[in-house]
Amino acid sequence: MFSPQTIIEILADNVRKTRNPFGLNKTGLNSWWKNSNVNQTGDTLLFTGLMYQLVPYIKATTKYLEKYEDTPKADYIRYGKRIPKPLVNLGLKIISSKEDKKYFNTLLCNIVKILRSSDVSFAYNPELDEYSGVLLYDMGDQESFVTHAEYVANKLQDAGIRKLITVDPHTTYAVKVLYPKYTGISFEVQTYFELARLKGGDSSSEVTLHDPCFYGRYLELADGPKDLLTGLGVSCDPINTSGAFTSCCGGPAESISPKLAEEVGKRRVAELQATGRPIVAMCPICLANLQKAGAEVEDLSSVLVQFVS
Amino acid sequence: MTKITPDFAEELKKYGDDTALICFNCGTCVAICPLVSESFPRRLIRYIQIGARDRILENADDLWKCLHCGLCTQTCPRAADPGEVILSLKRFTVANWRKSYNV
Ligand code: SF4
Ligand code: SF4
Repeated sequence: MFSPQTIIEILADNVRKTRNPFGLNKTGLNSWWKNSNVNQTGDTLLFTGLMYQLVPYIKATTKYLEKYEDTPKADYIRYGKRIPKPLVNLGLKIISSKEDKKYFNTLLCNIVKILRSSDVSFAYNPELDEYSGVLLYDMGDQESFVTHAEYVANKLQDAGIRKLITVDPHTTYAVKVLYPKYTGISFEVQTYFELARLKGGDSSSEVTLHDPCFYGRYLELADGPKDLLTGLGVSCDPINTSGAFTSCCGGPAESISPKLAEEVGKRRVAELQATGRPIVAMCPICLANLQKAGAEVEDLSSVLVQFVS
Repeated sequence: MTKITPDFAEELKKYGDDTALICFNCGTCVAICPLVSESFPRRLIRYIQIGARDRILENADDLWKCLHCGLCTQTCPRAADPGEVILSLKRFTVANWRKSYNV
């Protein structure tokens, strides 16, 4: 386990300086939309919160951190003065995989195709798409979270945005629940799957859904993907640990303890694999952590895009 | 020996809802928590109830093992919201660290 204090201060400092937790240049981080011919103006904004884009960096950082966990070198990270160079600007000097970046970008392109095929009119303006700050909130750095959330909420409000279409549970929770509570600024928020209107094919496949904690419990949205898939002919009988009683993928622990994240992830994978059906996730953190724990997992958008005409 | 801070629960109100005092220590949250570590989160909630402020600060790193998954809150029979209590303790600890930098 690493010192939460050090990790929190690095993340908060990065968010303060660059508006994302890894200190990355946004132009390089957020490039998925370039070939999607997106309309940039309108008051309904596709708001990714940069989560899918950040996952390749999270994976690379975790891989780096796990080499040092519970070794004497973990103390380098505790005593800031001797932090190994690549961790000074988490992510900046870490070589994240090109394949990963391409993969996670494709998932966002899938979502655009799903929305278009469902006749949803929306804009995507990369300038307005920002990280929500939700990790700072989860880590208990309330002051840094609120400062960042106010920046993002004001920026969206000043640009005339009224409605946000979200793609992951953490960002959805942040903009739907936390922003009104802590910034006083509200938007109408819906996830892309709530807006999806796709037509079923003659599919008769079966999948097992991994409901993320934030859709299953905090936002009570787990029925959405299940009903959508069922309507398309994809059977997804819920397992015992789903919906409000879903089990965590372990992902949230990865910055503090990659070992713990893996241990919890493996337990969840065993529950999901017991059905023998292909596993589908709907959060980039869950997707990456369950894959890392040894499961073959697809993103919901990859399943839905097959029904795009 | 543990120093007792009787108004600790009061101090914590700044950092979140004060539901810790309604916990009746049944341990349901411990049974369901994916961390399967010793009496987590119940033990920390008990520390709040008895005012063991220093104990919490001494063991603060453990708080960040919590995944904020919400299962304990979902199953708590007293609606004591243990997951959010842990989050409040994280906020309290971060605020304490920050105060100490400014001393
Ligand atoms: S489940 Fe609720 S009442 Fe029972 S020990 Fe945990 S917090 Fe207390
Ligand atoms: S929210 Fe934290 S304490 Fe509660 S069950 Fe999940 S990991 Fe355990």
